[in-house]
Amino acid sequence: MKIARWPRPATMLAGAAVLVAGLTACGGSSGAGTSGGGLPQTIKIMSIKEMTGAVAFAGTNATKGIDLAVDEMNQQKFLGESKLEIDLKDSAASPQEAASFATQALSDKDYSAILGPAASAQAAAVSPIAQKAKMPVIYTQAGSNGVLAGDYTYRVTAPASSYFQLAGEYLRGKGVKTAAVLYNSGNPTLAELGQQTAPQLGQKYGFTITSSDGVQTNAQDFTANGSKIAAANPGAVFVLLNGPQNPTAIMQLRQNGYRGEIVGMTSMGAGNLAPAGQAAAGAVWPSDFSALAENEGAKKFVEAYKAKYNGETPNNYAAEAYDAAWFLARGIKEAGSADRSKIQQGLAKVAAAGFEGAEGKLTFEGNDLRVQGVLAGWDGTKEILVQGTRS
Amino acid sequence: MAQNLINAVTLGSLYLLFALGMSLAWGTIGILNFAHGSIFMFSSFTCYLLVQHIALPMPLMILIGLVVGAVLSVLVQVLAFEPIKRRNPDPHRAELQILVGGIGIAGIPLAVAQHLTKSVPFGYSKSTFEVEVLHLGPVQLTNVQLVILAAALVLAGGVGWWLRSARAGLALRAIGVDAEVAGILGVNRRRLALGTMAVAGALAGVAGVLLTYYLGSIAAESGDAFLLKAFAAIVLGGIGSVGGAVAGAMILALAETAVVTQTSGMWVDAVSFGLIFAVLLLRPRGLFGRREVRRT
Repeated sequence: MKIARWPRPATMLAGAAVLVAGLTACGGSSGAGTSGGGLPQTIKIMSIKEMTGAVAFAGTNATKGIDLAVDEMNQQKFLGESKLEIDLKDSAASPQEAASFATQALSDKDYSAILGPAASAQAAAVSPIAQKAKMPVIYTQAGSNGVLAGDYTYRVTAPASSYFQLAGEYLRGKGVKTAAVLYNSGNPTLAELGQQTAPQLGQKYGFTITSSDGVQTNAQDFTANGSKIAAANPGAVFVLLNGPQNPTAIMQLRQNGYRGEIVGMTSMGAGNLAPAGQAAAGAVWPSDFSALAENEGAKKFVEAYKAKYNGETPNNYAAEAYDAAWFLARGIKEAGSADRSKIQQGLAKVAAAGFEGAEGKLTFEGNDLRVQGVLAGWDGTKEILVQGTRS
Repeated sequence: MAQNLINAVTLGSLYLLFALGMSLAWGTIGILNFAHGSIFMFSSFTCYLLVQHIALPMPLMILIGLVVGAVLSVLVQVLAFEPIKRRNPDPHRAELQILVGGIGIAGIPLAVAQHLTKSVPFGYSKSTFEVEVLHLGPVQLTNVQLVILAAALVLAGGVGWWLRSARAGLALRAIGVDAEVAGILGVNRRRLALGTMAVAGALAGVAGVLLTYYLGSIAAESGDAFLLKAFAAIVLGGIGSVGGAVAGAMILALAETAVVTQTSGMWVDAVSFGLIFAVLLLRPRGLFGRREVRRT
């Protein structure tokens, strides 16, 4: 799921103005105590992640992915004698905290780059000041417009709309002719999928959207929605909600007698459907990553992840962050320097060439990632890869 | 139409179960407990932790939720609200500090649950209870809905009767009217306050468990969302009135359901809270709020 939250405009504007003013006074880039020639022994990276708070599931999993990538880099001596040192900061899903940590990194010449937060509101607070100070920032998730503020900001999570055609192909295969949409109207990414992407898929893959209902960000009871949708009995329902909303909405749809197809978003992954159990069996969702994907990059990543974390299966948050860390390392290697500007140039070259990662073949449109995607599903007890979809 | 009404009454019953304890403490001992949502969530979360290890039936889960809620609520009263009251002779300042203190305390169980669940939703799929859908003519409802409707009816009726008829309930209402005079007349204010907080917490615990069964799962943050709804229901109905809490919860739920079923659903909060605002403009003390008499 793209964790997208809008900042409070007045607070953000004031905060950003103060920070930009401070940064301008501090000067801009430098880079890890280097003069731009060669790699230092240690390259310090600040990782701003949501280790606590409402989106801790994204931050904690992302951190595991980053730690694994850094272990691999250091073991392989990917950067020669240089090692990446990750300084983890818990933003607690607060834009103010995230901006404060970013400011700290910008004003400290020891930091060469930032691995950014997942929530769009935080990313939107960090991006303008990082771009102004010429600090490379690589985000995962953070799907809102405005997060990519210039050539120093990258996003290593492909927009869901770029691979959501997998859902259209699936529904066409099932012969679906009508669909309802239930989406979280407070989340820009989910709202965009519900209001624009789903109807576009309908036009392309031959089904009609019969109803489109928004729910509040914190809505918890979907009985009325479920009842309304079940009465209309469309061939499919797009359930585009945040993580905790998914099992409840699906369960209540089923309890209201709905038996058609259910299509969701990556927010259905990461174990979020487990509480719904058998009621959610058959639900599918396009995803940028599945631990069951058959490409070499994914297989290698899953194997290494399980070995490091006691057999735990990685989710998309871990895979995206793993790819983000490797993207950064490749950029640094390409730059041959820990200097911020040179790292940005290195990242641009790596992005132009693309590379193989846990999410498969990674390419970029500008500074934004693109992947083929997979169609994941829930069989009632565990996540599965829906057969016949690309991996 | 009948189905929508059933859905709305169920939602209203959930709001009521949550709001009842909050209303009781606020309307009698003057404590607006903003940790109520966290107590509600953590009671449910404790049951979830237990049911991971041993399959428990619904009645036992409700009982555990009740006990955990009561204990947590009493702890909050003893460790936080009582010291605040002791140190603040000015009751208005104390009320404000209790409100802020409640918000702070709410963060502790929330952080613990978020840490342990990684903010992934939790439910009672390992409980022995199974949800069944019942078809009654044109409408259908689940056995959980029936339990919720019955619980709301019994508990709201019970609390209302207790406040009107039982000796302790009358003493509690006396505190709500004038705590000092009630004290002079021999009412043990501390004991009644602890008892009230225990009952309020127990109601939150029961609501938490029933809500988790009904929704299939909740998240660590679910208490916060209910807090706002309950607050709105209490203000709409009138602070300290059980009948008011019932009316407020049902009106809020009916308005929300009507908006969801008749529109695209995006205006739920705007319409329902707009309605509350309109009612309060006409009746500032809420629908059933008592008239406050100030003597100089």
